[in-house]
Amino acid sequence: MKESVPELLCMLGRDALPGPFRLEAGQALRLTLLALPGVSVDASLEVQLLGPGAELDLGGLYLCRSDERVRLSVRVRHEAGGAVSHQLLKGIVDGTARFSFDGLIYVAPDAQKTEAVQQNHSLLLSDSCQAETRPQLEIYADDVICSHGATLGHLNADEQFYMRSRGIPEEEARRLQMISFLSPVLSRLPEALQEECLAAL
Amino acid sequence: MSRSNQTIDRFTSQEYKEGFVTQVAQEFVPKGLSEEIIRLISAKKDEPDWLLQFRLDAFRRWQKMTPPSWGHLHLPPIDFQDIIYYAAPKRPEDRPKEIDPALQETFDKLGIPIREREVLAGVRDKREVAVDAVFDSVSVATTFRKTLSEQGIIFCSFSEAVHEHPDLVRKYLASVVPVGDNFYAALNSDVFSDGSFCYVPKGVKCPMDLSSYFRINASGTGQFERTLIVADEGASLSYMEGCTAPMRDEHQLHAAVVEIVVEKDADVRYSTVQNWYPGDAEGRGGILNLVTKRGICRGSGSHLSWTQVETGSAVTWKYPSTILKGDFSSSEFYSVALTNNFQQADTGTKMIHLGRGTRSRIVSKGISAGRSENSYRGLVQMGPAADGARNYSQCDSLLIGSRCGAHTFPVIKGANPRATVEHEATTSKISEDQLFYLQSRGIAPEEAVALIVNGYAREVLQRLPMEFAVEAQKLLSVSLEGAVG
Repeated sequence: MKESVPELLCMLGRDALPGPFRLEAGQALRLTLLALPGVSVDASLEVQLLGPGAELDLGGLYLCRSDERVRLSVRVRHEAGGAVSHQLLKGIVDGTARFSFDGLIYVAPDAQKTEAVQQNHSLLLSDSCQAETRPQLEIYADDVICSHGATLGHLNADEQFYMRSRGIPEEEARRLQMISFLSPVLSRLPEALQEECLAAL
Repeated sequence: MSRSNQTIDRFTSQEYKEGFVTQVAQEFVPKGLSEEIIRLISAKKDEPDWLLQFRLDAFRRWQKMTPPSWGHLHLPPIDFQDIIYYAAPKRPEDRPKEIDPALQETFDKLGIPIREREVLAGVRDKREVAVDAVFDSVSVATTFRKTLSEQGIIFCSFSEAVHEHPDLVRKYLASVVPVGDNFYAALNSDVFSDGSFCYVPKGVKCPMDLSSYFRINASGTGQFERTLIVADEGASLSYMEGCTAPMRDEHQLHAAVVEIVVEKDADVRYSTVQNWYPGDAEGRGGILNLVTKRGICRGSGSHLSWTQVETGSAVTWKYPSTILKGDFSSSEFYSVALTNNFQQADTGTKMIHLGRGTRSRIVSKGISAGRSENSYRGLVQMGPAADGARNYSQCDSLLIGSRCGAHTFPVIKGANPRATVEHEATTSKISEDQLFYLQSRGIAPEEAVALIVNGYAREVLQRLPMEFAVEAQKLLSVSLEGAVG
């Protein structure tokens, strides 16, 4: 059994981004990055997994509602086999904000039995915002399960219609959609911060 | 060594079957690249002044450019002064009516149906293919021109088009790939020798598949072909391209440019089976395939589909792209890229969504074996006016053996809150369960691998015209034999 996993929360723009992290065999890390509205930041994170059983669970949430410039760069390096990494970054881009994500999963030669997943999903809400995402896989071992997914999307009109036809006002419907979109990452935050994020939507 | 490993080795050490050299008398221009050489090439082809100026302008730009280095490739240094930029089979003053027997033999060996009577008898009822064959720097034969011209379709070599349809060539040349687009496109614009030109007029559906075969034969040369395809309003056509080269210890350069213009409601399908010489098992020699291909969906409702099977070349650097300018235009990119031994491929696509309601779909299947490197690199961009645009990309990599690399480098840019982009990629290997299942039913290991790989690539192979699909399937299993890990 794993000992209790250290949990780290990094409020971008307030805390310096920790790392680079080096996870030895059996070590685990659960890290959540948060960029609240009004925060412009250019941050890069590097995590190395150096032994079997090392585990990274990375969450990220960004709420860019006006004219923020947020750049995130995440490098996860599987230097040894048998390690696991999960990344999930989600956020909202609105106003004239710019968001960009640069993510790399590197699997060294002979790092067999690696499991690595990387996801980045953004909602674009205004005509003048821009989002860019570059999820990258660089893999030199064959017995691995690696995947990444990235989407840029908007609030689904069918869902909105459904809610509004049941008497939910438009603003409220949009809010509900955003909450449901963000909830997988939102749920990683302490309650007070969750409230703050919800209030910002 | 385990039996399955031996199978892999046998599979990966298959010989290249198109590696013969044809002995024909050839004429060359001197080695190297300079304004005089360009003037000489232009004079040999008896080109009008505007085209010479086009070349010289390109040359002046090219001199100021540097080769791109962002690819995930180890390119051997290329000495551009050590290449012969023009080689042509010698022939009488007038264009020969008959094909040189030696050339004919080459094309027979390649299995190219250059004679009308040979064309795909029995493959499909009354379905015919018009072929343009390019041997080193010149086009040697174009078939079915008469049948096509009855419908107003122009299908000829690029050199002929320059003389016979200068207005069309001038109008569309470099309209999709500008002269200074990139280093290799600029190089091509200096010295391009031949290629295919195709124009399908308004409302005409091309009754047969058009196809080009490219062959590098001479030693120390490069091939720089230029292909221009124009489908006018409501027209439709399907174009196929195949390429091979002899086995040599030296690297040979292939830097082509393909431009496709698709007007309103027109439909173009472009298929490639690329089988240039990939180099030997130690990574010596092979073609450096540095190619720029781009199409523009200019009018509303137009459609362009790219299908490629890449099994050859020592280095492949190729990104067939579509600019979706017309509203509700659509494009697809289906690709299978297979690398073995020391081959390197950095290939993918760009989908640039400018118009409303534009759609694109990307399906890329990479297969790496031996010590090869295989990368997918792509761009999906949603412009501010691309309301309701949509893209879906799927990039899968299959690794065979533990010394190869498989990489995915997509870039997604969005600037429209009503557009949707979805990208997903996975990496995996041939599962031992699948192999065991097939082998326990009496299927030999290499057949089992070929079966699995063909199944993996099926979504793409299905998109190829039938004649090509058969060839591509064969190529895949040849290049893959023995790849069980």
